[in-house]
Amino acid sequence: MNVRVYGALIRDTFQEAMARWLFWGLFALSSLLVLIFLFVLRIDLVQGAISVTGVSGSARPVYNIQHFVNVSYSWVSTTLYIWGTFVAVFASSGLIPSVLEPGRIALLLSKPLSRTTLLLGRYAGNILVVLLNHVYLIGSIWIIIGIKTGIWDPRFLLSIPVALFAFAVLLCVVVLIGVMYESAALSTMAAIALMLISTILAQRSFVVRLLDSEWSRDLWQTLYWIVPKIFDLGNALRQIILFEKDADLMTPILTSAAFGLIIMLRAIYVFRRKDF
Amino acid sequence: MITEYALETKGLEKIYRARFGGREIKAVSDLSLRVPVGAKFGLLGANGAGKTTFVKMVLSAVHPTGGSATIFGKDAAHPEARRPVGYLPENHRFPTYLSGTGMLDFYGALSGIDSADRKKRIPEYLDMVGLNGWGDVRIKKYSKGMLQRLGLAQALIHKPRLLILDEPTDGVDPVGRREIRDVLNRLTGSGVTVFLNSHLLAEVESFCEYVAILKKGQLALEGKISSLVAGTGYSIVASNIPDAAKEAFKQRGVTISPHDSGLELRAATREESNQIIDSIRAAGGFIESMHASNISLEDVFIKTTTNAGQAEKVA
Repeated sequence: MNVRVYGALIRDTFQEAMARWLFWGLFALSSLLVLIFLFVLRIDLVQGAISVTGVSGSARPVYNIQHFVNVSYSWVSTTLYIWGTFVAVFASSGLIPSVLEPGRIALLLSKPLSRTTLLLGRYAGNILVVLLNHVYLIGSIWIIIGIKTGIWDPRFLLSIPVALFAFAVLLCVVVLIGVMYESAALSTMAAIALMLISTILAQRSFVVRLLDSEWSRDLWQTLYWIVPKIFDLGNALRQIILFEKDADLMTPILTSAAFGLIIMLRAIYVFRRKDF
Repeated sequence: MITEYALETKGLEKIYRARFGGREIKAVSDLSLRVPVGAKFGLLGANGAGKTTFVKMVLSAVHPTGGSATIFGKDAAHPEARRPVGYLPENHRFPTYLSGTGMLDFYGALSGIDSADRKKRIPEYLDMVGLNGWGDVRIKKYSKGMLQRLGLAQALIHKPRLLILDEPTDGVDPVGRREIRDVLNRLTGSGVTVFLNSHLLAEVESFCEYVAILKKGQLALEGKISSLVAGTGYSIVASNIPDAAKEAFKQRGVTISPHDSGLELRAATREESNQIIDSIRAAGGFIESMHASNISLEDVFIKTTTNAGQAEKVA
């Protein structure tokens, strides 16, 4: 029964995303990026690089090409991670407040489904819309790079779950703000601000040295651990692709997941108590 | 004998509190109501009387601050209690990106109908509300009346046992109103309880058996319409009534309507009719005629909503 209800809510979110041109907008922007990568990553450049390293010496040609591709992959994956998360937040911020419009929410709440189901169904629909876009965007670029270099490194595809996870955490904030204030603009602002704050807080090793008081250093560290680690997730992704040994994906995932869970539970609590 | 109630509320109350210790607003106060299974029940009240808040509390869109509500004996706050309920809200906003078929499919799925049943029922219900051939058209192209009909189909598609309709004929032309009324009459014939929230007194009077009148969030009057309008009232036709006197009559809750010979004033009792006659003559007006007549629901409504008093129950 719940599967049917969730299916209907997810399908409705897709239909709304398509009708509002959000779905197509996301895909148009992704297609634009795919075309840019097609244009920038010229096959003759790669072939040229291979031929140059092949001629220059027999000791390290394969390693150099592999390293060249790794660096390219890490750069491209980080760019896609930031781009995909930004665009996804912008595209989906209106999908929660729209369902709370008077005259629409009253009818939805009259159906035999809990408010939690309604909110989570909508959330899942948003996630699936963005998942499709990420698979299309990152998958296409992986295929382009693979065809052009002949190197098919599956680590590049790690960008898909990492970017989707970062979006899922930010979407919890969008949901909470949307439920509390029913404003798409405020939801977007909050999520984007959180991305920027995460980037600033992540520079703690540098900033902590500049802070002159103990309490300010403690405050910085506390905030760092509270706020979702959107920057650290991207950084860990880059390090994994570069085979760096100190890459740590689990810490930002676990702390960010805890943040997202608490925010989502708060959103459910507010939604369940609200009068419409 | 009625042994079960489709809808029952006990001491239902909703107080809205302004933030930061602001004043309280009692939207609904100590409202106890019973809607028998299979009844055609009308809820009346002036704007702001608490009708929509009451309906929203029953459907859990608004949380009561006191009292309880049950639907077929189940706590209305539980989602399962709403399974046998069909609802058409006032000022609905259906998703305009859906077609008529898509909308019925979506709300049908939320109501628990499986895919095969939805496919079978959607054309049937579109046909029932006179929207045959419109299923594939996006609902943003529908007129107000068509949206009401589609909303009715949405409320009916899961074959509810209790139908709650908030201004169902709003924006519908007279022919459409008659068709909607016919659909509702067929449903009540098959045992469905209809709860009608409407400001159209004639609609409530012609369709419902029971009525409750709310005044400032409280139950002011409840009973069978046939009992409420029973008895004899009086119609007084008078001319040359000064404006000040007309205003005074309105403030007293006297129903006044234009008449070929001047104005027609309605009184519920003999005493009241005599008082009206005295007042007309004192104001310099002329009595043209007077005769006994039935009291309309409008008379009952105006009298109830303009006069202070305790809740009254008529058997």
